Amino acid sequence: MKRKLAASLFITALLVSAACGGDNGDGGDGDGQATNGGGADTVTVGLIPIVDVAPLFLGDQQGFFADRGIELQTEFAAGGAEIIPGVQSGQFDFGFSNVISLMLAQASGLELQAVANGNSSTGVQGEDFGSLMVPVDSPIQDPAELEGATVATNTLNNIVDTIVRASVRKAGGDPSTIEFVGVPFPEMEAALANGDVDAAFPVEPFQTLIRTNDVGRSIAWSWVDAAPDLTVAVYFTSGRLAQEDPDLVARFAEAMAEALAYANDNPDEVRAILPDYARVSPEIAAELTLPTWPPEVNRASLEQLGELAVQDGLLSEPPDLDALVP
Amino acid sequence: MTAAAHRTGHAAGRTGPPRTRSVPDRVRSLLLGLTGLVGFGLLLEVLARTGVVPARYLPPTSRILTELVDSAASGTLWAAAGNTVLTWAIGLGLAVAAAVVLGLIIGSVPLLRAATASTIEFLRPIPSVAWIPAAIVLYGPVRAGTLLIVVYAAFWQMLVQVLHGVVDVDPVARDTARSYRLGPIARVRWVVLPTALPYLVTGLRLAATVALILTVTGELFVGTPGLGAEILRASAGGAVATTYALVVVTGLLGVAANLAFRALERYLLSWHPSIRREVPA
Amino acid sequence: MRWADRSVALLRWLLLTATLPTLLVVIWWYASRDSTHFLFRPLSDIWAAFRQTWLGPRLVEDVLPSLSRLGQGYAASLLLGVGIGVLIGLHRTLRALVEPVLEFLRAIPPPALIPLIGLFAGLGDTRRVVIIIAGCVWPILLNTVEGVRAVDEVLTDTCRSYRIRGPRRLYHLVLRSASPQIMTGARQALAIGIILMVISELQRTDRGIGYAVEEFQTSFRYAEMWSGVIMLGLLGVALSLLFRLADQRVLRWYHGVRATEKGGRQ
Repeated sequence: MKRKLAASLFITALLVSAACGGDNGDGGDGDGQATNGGGADTVTVGLIPIVDVAPLFLGDQQGFFADRGIELQTEFAAGGAEIIPGVQSGQFDFGFSNVISLMLAQASGLELQAVANGNSSTGVQGEDFGSLMVPVDSPIQDPAELEGATVATNTLNNIVDTIVRASVRKAGGDPSTIEFVGVPFPEMEAALANGDVDAAFPVEPFQTLIRTNDVGRSIAWSWVDAAPDLTVAVYFTSGRLAQEDPDLVARFAEAMAEALAYANDNPDEVRAILPDYARVSPEIAAELTLPTWPPEVNRASLEQLGELAVQDGLLSEPPDLDALVP
Repeated sequence: MTAAAHRTGHAAGRTGPPRTRSVPDRVRSLLLGLTGLVGFGLLLEVLARTGVVPARYLPPTSRILTELVDSAASGTLWAAAGNTVLTWAIGLGLAVAAAVVLGLIIGSVPLLRAATASTIEFLRPIPSVAWIPAAIVLYGPVRAGTLLIVVYAAFWQMLVQVLHGVVDVDPVARDTARSYRLGPIARVRWVVLPTALPYLVTGLRLAATVALILTVTGELFVGTPGLGAEILRASAGGAVATTYALVVVTGLLGVAANLAFRALERYLLSWHPSIRREVPA
Repeated sequence: MRWADRSVALLRWLLLTATLPTLLVVIWWYASRDSTHFLFRPLSDIWAAFRQTWLGPRLVEDVLPSLSRLGQGYAASLLLGVGIGVLIGLHRTLRALVEPVLEFLRAIPPPALIPLIGLFAGLGDTRRVVIIIAGCVWPILLNTVEGVRAVDEVLTDTCRSYRIRGPRRLYHLVLRSASPQIMTGARQALAIGIILMVISELQRTDRGIGYAVEEFQTSFRYAEMWSGVIMLGLLGVALSLLFRLADQRVLRWYHGVRATEKGGRQ
């Protein structure tokens, strides 16, 4: 009995020591503070591993950040809902998020401000990096016919359902009868194929995948319907960092602007870098529609988007764009 | 030992120590079991190949197994499984350590027990998954987020069992210890721990099961690296056979854990009279 | 002076039960009062959010659907688990045949099955209920098998000599004997069921408590999010109490026997 007792205590001790010795922060937490050691500032950026953020990687590759004394460290997260608190709490120095999420965060009292454009719509009907799609054999030809239908969006009460409602309104329909269902982008193809939803709004590469697999076809280009040349997402930082280290923020913004311009001028290099970080096959990367990367945020489009958000009830009042986009 | 130990098979109790079975009996069970397993696999294979269940939903067993072997060979499987096991072990260890310490302290002082009972009864049933959104916000897709929900759930499972174990100590034994003036440490070692041991082991098993479920949950929803995250990635990418293969691996992990804990139970408690019920938790 | 003794006893019970929780809540209230942290909102905010959110229309729109799905899943699990469990428990050969397969299936953590269930069951309520069943059925099934196996031999022989067969035997001998073990399984299943109820609503649907808490998180309304966590806690406590009541009714005879054996000590 003594031995059994000793054995059980030993095992308990093992477990406890494993607990104490185990690492508690897998995946590289990143240094919340921008360190100022030996010239280069290490900066952590929270990103979603999607097509939109290609310029950041391209710019890093080209040395635009290193030229300005910035060493980039990227962290992938599932969406703005994780990145925004991460920036606010200092886990990330900068983050990437769609503008509606930022407006919602601002309305909840978080202090964030955009530092550089992220990505924008192509502004061209019929050719954008996301579209409203229906199953190939669906009788629906027009967004107005979506009244009372089920539409898949990646996050409820966010940018995608806002712009889809804009498409429906533009086609003369009543968007208030639409039932939106939360389905992650990668699962939209299955949802369309199985008939679980009447329509979906996928972005690249899923838009191209759905098309090439002959599962769905596009009936509207909602980024364009919402506002001309819509700024979809931006890179942002916390109000705190902007105050403490405006120089770093300015340098990041400059590097980002250069990277965006470079990406716009060299789409082939963008397509080449996609498979590295975004799990996109080279074949699909060659076919998909890229967003545009203008160096400036389109404020007018954000005002329009803000109005749509208020109209749809996401926000109770228009966002303070002066604070958000200084 | 307590009077309860000498109970002779009332109602839901067993009669005496577990009967050891004869060798031919065991061989028969083993053969039947293997037949069952193989039969199950064959059934799925047939269903898939004949198209009764569309291939998109259920790939044939053979394809799942090949996928399993491929992943094992390529190494991604081991990294993911390693992450899952590590998160699980750390979470379980933290929870068990905290529960044993707190349980011993609270259980030994009747006043503490009475004062904390209501709080424990309220906090215990809070589903650990309620913490997922908070974990996402606080930690993001790293191990700490999942540990939050794993430790919370496993801790309560273990604490309840420890408390019951400490309380179940035979008053005669406790008094004897006191009259022999055994110090607190000696009392714990000779009186409390032996009585509590069956409860501790049960608690460990329950806590480990819950901890595995929540580890996988955390990997699926918080994004911590591990088998759950890989399952999500595979299913999101449409790789159905890989998804099944990963689920099989997760199941095997659970089976291994069950076997390990059952062996531990037998080893540690072979001296204890067989009546070992799960305490109403 | 019996009423004096009783009042003292009541007062003592009240003090013991209520002191620690009250203390904790008060500390929480005052410690968080001036909090400007974006995530850890003052308790007063959370309380206001709670009143606004859960004592209003959301009670019907979110809480009821969640509970209803849990009820359906749990009931189905009971039927399946006890039904199949009795079958397996009574037939040694069958049990030897299926035991490894069952051990394997039940060892799969239910959340890992969610993507697979999604393939078969689409996006709606069926999917959510199936997820709940996938987790709840196993503790009930396995505990039923155990309980049925362990029926007292003396009782079995007695029934045989009194020629008690068929449904009566099933009910009075098998089910009654196994019921404490089955209840143990049912209790575990309840805890798992609540967890799965919440999980099944994350990321996919648009009504339910789990969904609501997640929605608050993704739209950065953290006071409401915490109020949702509290709501889930209250639900957990309520269901746990309900179960204990049911357990006392169903197993009245068993608790009585055990109390006698323990010499009156609970």
